[in-house]
Amino acid sequence: MLKTLPKSCLIAVAAAGFALLACALPAGAFPDQPIKFIMPWPPGGGSDISMRLVAEAASKKFGKPVVVVNRPGAGGSIGIREIAEAPADGHTVGMIGSGAVAAQYLNANANALSDLQPIALFGDEPAALITRSDSPFKSLKEFVDAAKAAPGTIRNGNDQPGGAAFTFISLYERLLGVKVNKVAYGGYAPAVTALLSGEVQTISIAVPDVAEYHKAGRLRILGVSGASRHFLAPDVPTFKEQGFDAMVGSWRTIAGPKGMPADRLKALEKGFLDAMNETEFRERARARGFLVTPGGVVESGKLWDTHDQQLYPILLESGLVKARKKG
Amino acid sequence: MGIFESLVLGLSVACTPSNLMLCFAGCLLGTAIGVLPGIGPLATMAMLLPVTFHLSPAGALIMLAGVYYGAQYGGSTTAILLKLPGEASSVVTCLDGHEMALQGNAGVALAVAALSSLIAGCLTTVLIALAAPSLAEVALAFQSADYVAVLILGLVAAIVLSQGSLLKAIAAILVGVLLGIIGTDVSTGEHRLTFGLAPLVDGVGFVPVAMGLFGVAEIVSNLASTAGHGTQPVAVKRLWPSRAELKALLFPSLRGTVVGAAFGLLPGGGPTIGAFSAYSLEKKLSATPARFGRGALEGVAAPEAANNAAAQASFIPMLSLGIPPSALMALMIGAMMIHGIAPGPNFIVKQPALFWGLIASMLIGNLMLVLLNLPLIRIWVLLLRVPYRYLYPSILVLCCIGTYSISNSAADVLIMAVFGFVGWFMKKIEIEPAPVLMGLVLGPMLEENFRRALAVSGGDPIIFLQRPISAGLLAVSAALLVAAALPWIRRKRETVFTDPL
Repeated sequence: MLKTLPKSCLIAVAAAGFALLACALPAGAFPDQPIKFIMPWPPGGGSDISMRLVAEAASKKFGKPVVVVNRPGAGGSIGIREIAEAPADGHTVGMIGSGAVAAQYLNANANALSDLQPIALFGDEPAALITRSDSPFKSLKEFVDAAKAAPGTIRNGNDQPGGAAFTFISLYERLLGVKVNKVAYGGYAPAVTALLSGEVQTISIAVPDVAEYHKAGRLRILGVSGASRHFLAPDVPTFKEQGFDAMVGSWRTIAGPKGMPADRLKALEKGFLDAMNETEFRERARARGFLVTPGGVVESGKLWDTHDQQLYPILLESGLVKARKKG
Repeated sequence: MGIFESLVLGLSVACTPSNLMLCFAGCLLGTAIGVLPGIGPLATMAMLLPVTFHLSPAGALIMLAGVYYGAQYGGSTTAILLKLPGEASSVVTCLDGHEMALQGNAGVALAVAALSSLIAGCLTTVLIALAAPSLAEVALAFQSADYVAVLILGLVAAIVLSQGSLLKAIAAILVGVLLGIIGTDVSTGEHRLTFGLAPLVDGVGFVPVAMGLFGVAEIVSNLASTAGHGTQPVAVKRLWPSRAELKALLFPSLRGTVVGAAFGLLPGGGPTIGAFSAYSLEKKLSATPARFGRGALEGVAAPEAANNAAAQASFIPMLSLGIPPSALMALMIGAMMIHGIAPGPNFIVKQPALFWGLIASMLIGNLMLVLLNLPLIRIWVLLLRVPYRYLYPSILVLCCIGTYSISNSAADVLIMAVFGFVGWFMKKIEIEPAPVLMGLVLGPMLEENFRRALAVSGGDPIIFLQRPISAGLLAVSAALLVAAALPWIRRKRETVFTDPL
């Protein structure tokens, strides 16, 4: 006992010292160690780059490094599992993109969104419908008319069933009242190549992946299905401007495991929001083609729910609901 | 801007001290990971990507490109010395390269690999400089039906290149294609042939199968055939190729460059199909095809030139159109995005310094690689002197680490072990492993494009004959297959094969 006393005294003194130090810091006691940021996609893609920008900016706000760790595989569900199963102490967060909504129905091994706690919204990126410059479709209306005249004949390039571009075109079909022939490619870039080669007549992907081709006059963006025009292609009218009420897009949110203490959740939300609201961050993200529309816990959660309600019937109709069937 | 001014501009970018350093660092790292089995350029470039946040855009691209083509140089080293293909594209190099090493010509084989890679690297760089935009448009002429024809041609090439029984070669390819079917169906998301095992959901990877069939099986059958004593390759006779050998490597390298560059332009498997096709072409053209598989110099020169040419040609669609033909090029696009540079059809016009800087660095990098690799040969061949009781366990450990590191999966190591046994058994019943790997690599691409072509045509198979590219390539494949299957050719093949040289 006597022997251990000085040691515990020392610890007590040290703890008091640290506590004083911690009080001096504006952020309080949390985070007291680096924050691990799980990125469920491989390095180099849009998700990875955007979240690295966020992590860099957020590190300054938290006063602790936010370390991005790539955990790709199984359509993002491996990384998402790591987020969901991490200790709910606020030191592990990660990116949840809109693909996670479909994944929970496609894959029985994927986590449900209800296993996760939304923290902040990075951006809500509108989708677009794109065609070749020499295509007969000059506007969205001409496309819709042609698709209605000959249902199922216009070939649209998209990704695999359940992927982002697949859900975009499926939602367009439903909202515009048309039917097309959906041809699957291994991602956005092969779909763009297929459109350039003339194998498909339209593609349904996000604006940043085609903006350069639009500017160069090789491809024509028929319309953007967002609330406002896209800054990378300001000459392209929205669907709404062309008389079609369709809001379709993808988003990236930051989330953690369920059950984080309320004060830590609040601190995380504030840190990420402050980081994303900085002018310098906005400019850096914009220069890389990212549309940043920051939001907090409430906005993120709302987005998850609306997307879920919008998507579920489409997945059900396409025979893609393999798990978590709603009654 | 003329080509001369452009090159001067490029050299002024590539020759700044920091960019030269990055180019060298990339090439060195590429060689290292090429030599190490399992760890490929994709994983390495992915790990380096966060570092490039802090580099200049030109420096980042120069370094990453160096890793990629550097790996093509390094990949042949273990293929030749230990029959361990470091990359998919160096599988073919194993066939004759390792035979050469067993005959005491390891140094010559390594030098031939390096020199033919240099020839291919320089020529392809010139090709990019002169004709990138128009070549990229050629890539756009290919649609799914045409890819199907290209892939079938690749598979037929794999049949033609194999020794011995045609039926066994076809069987091996089909086994490879079947292995490729394991995993998640692209179109429906259904799991196929996974037997409910989670590690099989993402399919069977190339690296575990290749390491099992080649590296592990080689060791097992070596020990089995020598009652556990292991074989020691004959002492190294010569390090450097003779003048006659240098002459003999020139034309195969040139032909390999052309074949490789053509396949490199097309998405998917560029270096791999290129290397296999170049090898088959050399075998077809050769007056003494029986030498192939028994240490033919052309059998090293042509595929090595082809895989390097293809690796560099895959930059063409990426730089001039912003289209990545492979996952590696998609990473390069990511590196540009990090710096806010949008790749696309106007990249060359908008970013001349970056484009020409990268081109110039490729020339410099290829020279660096040869200067780096030729002196290293002296050291590499020492590996052959290591007693097998030290060498074999080290190879096995390296194989396990390499396989595990790809996706931190112990299941992959088990798959490698299983295929080590399969490879030993195949050797016993005289079926060659290379066509299995070719089937594994090309099968999934074939399926994807086949189904897509039918989706485009509304289910009508006539699409394969309507498109000129597809019809032409299918005709070539059919002709090759018929030629190989004709009984008299077959008899001739076998007699030549059994004749002592």
